[in-house]
Amino acid sequence: MAGLEFGLNSFGDVATDGGRVLSDAETLRLMVEEAQLAESVGLDVFSVGEHYREGMVDSATPVLLAAAAQATSTIRLGTSVTVLSTQDPVRLYQQFATVDGLSGGRAQLVLGRASAIESFPLFGYDIADYEDIFEEKLDLFLRLMREDRVTWSGTYRSPLDAVRLHPRMPEGGIPAWIGIGGSPDSVVRAARHGLPLMMAIIGGRPERFAGHAELYLRALAQFGQPELPIAQHSLGFIADTDDEAKNVHWKRWQPVVKQVSEERGFYPPTAERYAEEVDTGALYVGSPETVARKIAGIVRANHLSRFDLKYDVLHLDRQARARSIRLFGEQVAPRVRELLADDADDWRLTGRTPAQIVRGGKAVHA
Amino acid sequence: MNPDHDTHKESIMNDFEGLEFGLDTFGDLPRDDSGEITTYGAAIRATLDEAILADDIGVDAFAVGEHHRPEFAISTPETVLAGIATATERIRLGSGVTVLSSDDPVRVFQRFATVDALSNGRAEVILGRGSFTESFPLFGYDLKDYELLFEEKIDLFSHLLDEKPVTWAGTTRAALHEADVFPKTDSGRLRTWVGVGGTPQSVLRTAQYGFRLMLAIIGGAPARFAPYVDLYRRATEQLGTPALPVGMHSPGFIAATDEEAKELFYPGYKVIRDRIGALRGWPPLQRREFEADVEGGSLYVGSVETVARKMAAAIRTLDVGRFDLIYTAGGAMRASDRMKTVELFGTKVVPMVRDLLAEAPTSAPRAGAAFGL
Repeated sequence: MAGLEFGLNSFGDVATDGGRVLSDAETLRLMVEEAQLAESVGLDVFSVGEHYREGMVDSATPVLLAAAAQATSTIRLGTSVTVLSTQDPVRLYQQFATVDGLSGGRAQLVLGRASAIESFPLFGYDIADYEDIFEEKLDLFLRLMREDRVTWSGTYRSPLDAVRLHPRMPEGGIPAWIGIGGSPDSVVRAARHGLPLMMAIIGGRPERFAGHAELYLRALAQFGQPELPIAQHSLGFIADTDDEAKNVHWKRWQPVVKQVSEERGFYPPTAERYAEEVDTGALYVGSPETVARKIAGIVRANHLSRFDLKYDVLHLDRQARARSIRLFGEQVAPRVRELLADDADDWRLTGRTPAQIVRGGKAVHA
Repeated sequence: MNPDHDTHKESIMNDFEGLEFGLDTFGDLPRDDSGEITTYGAAIRATLDEAILADDIGVDAFAVGEHHRPEFAISTPETVLAGIATATERIRLGSGVTVLSSDDPVRVFQRFATVDALSNGRAEVILGRGSFTESFPLFGYDLKDYELLFEEKIDLFSHLLDEKPVTWAGTTRAALHEADVFPKTDSGRLRTWVGVGGTPQSVLRTAQYGFRLMLAIIGGAPARFAPYVDLYRRATEQLGTPALPVGMHSPGFIAATDEEAKELFYPGYKVIRDRIGALRGWPPLQRREFEADVEGGSLYVGSVETVARKMAAAIRTLDVGRFDLIYTAGGAMRASDRMKTVELFGTKVVPMVRDLLAEAPTSAPRAGAAFGL
């Protein structure tokens, strides 16, 4: 199962230290330390999100990744996700070409439409154009990565006339995934563009995304694209025992989900609902053995070749964060590989291994 | 108007301890030892190595420019600065300059606040309109709005520096209503300069917002910029904004002897100068013009002693509190020669300039002393 990859995702949630809330700046520095820790415990990718609200410090993703690049030497560095709709693809290309240069070729991206909408008013976009903006900017970004000189025109950005950007990315660009939250249209779009699929599953039974994965693989075949990796991003927390993990995590998870549920109008968190999410839902919370079994199960069900754990929650203690990262890399990842190796044929939809799909850290299109 | 109230006192005290010296680069693509021009990635990593050395040997500041031309590897200064932040301990990290006119002030603030966090408070923003114009078509701006874009965006940026929710409306960017922008800095305010190439209006605006003034002096005798320094001081006095130090930045290169420095610097400098000159309608550079600018103008090219004497003279003449040397203006130079110039600047030139200024106090007061604090 050497092809299975494990990623660690942060949304820049402000941490605490022995009860004291860290400043935004302290949290940013902590994230660089956590990227180093992720590398030292053998994780494959460290990714940061992009948010524009109090308590989340990840508004300038490439800047943060550049610092992590200098602090690490082998771990790949990505996003989870880049809100392409409200970014300028030209700046994004320049910034990620810079991170790729600084890191010696370790940069990657997950592009998404975002589930949080703060960036639309902040940068002057109309949320009504959500779908069209993403499609147009994706088209431009892919052309900038895949072509040398680009002449382009569209609705949401000024035209480009034979532009060649600097610094250059490697020929073909850097690995770019499409992040989806459940829309089948987004799945088909990823396949049509020949981009690997990152499924963000943050609630409910994760197996319901198996249909999305199968749709993706069928769509790739129909579009004549090569087979590409499928990944899952979910929230979780690992401690030495199931009870410790649940107790520590619930205390921080409950207020956050309560606020989000009020803003977006979904269910308020209850202890019962939380227990259900941990047992059969999309929360990967527990001891290393519990979390490993749960991940191994979903890797099979959802045809995954990569699993990303979002490890931070607002005001989670920095020691608990570090312990969770350590257990994820040192115990969960090897145990998942072991569980899958016990019954290797069962989890692949097709005969191709992810190792053939991803070569040297680059997707095949790169 | 948003004067630097919070950091005013502390900044003045720091500046009293002495002049600051910086090194600036645009991320020019260097050559390796076999003479090949490096890749963009290698050029960025070379810049990083130079910054690490500058930090080691006590240079006060390091700044990287923003350019959108093939000769330069740096189009996103803050991304490079964040890499440098992690690898250094004490050097200040700035842009030289951030082309604010064609950028979004909200994004600029977010990126610099992040660099400031990652560097433990060492970020400084140097805003400018840009002497190159490539960024305007690239980001969809019209050059005819050159003035308006900078005027509006510097206004919004000055509000963002307060780190409180911002309500703002203009014509060059979407309006903001009680927009709170993150991350916040630990100090509560980013140190901000405005890079000025020689328009009195820009000097006045810099004083009005309470920003520091950085003079870009890339040709001719430094003395001709004295009126701008004077204008800035008078304007801050009249407006009651903080009288912050004035800085200057000029190109140069240091080697073992004057001859060696000139021979290493001139060929690449002429290539770049002529390429840019062709766009701006300048005739090709003649060797005698180059020699004249080394002799009495704004090229700080030569041995340690030659460059130190020239810098000390300029610092006295303009009464500045900060001198930045653009050390990569020689274009596609060997990376090893660039590294040598960084080393000589930090270990030899800067101490000699300090000695020269200490041994010959002049009637003109030093920058900090001029404020009567």
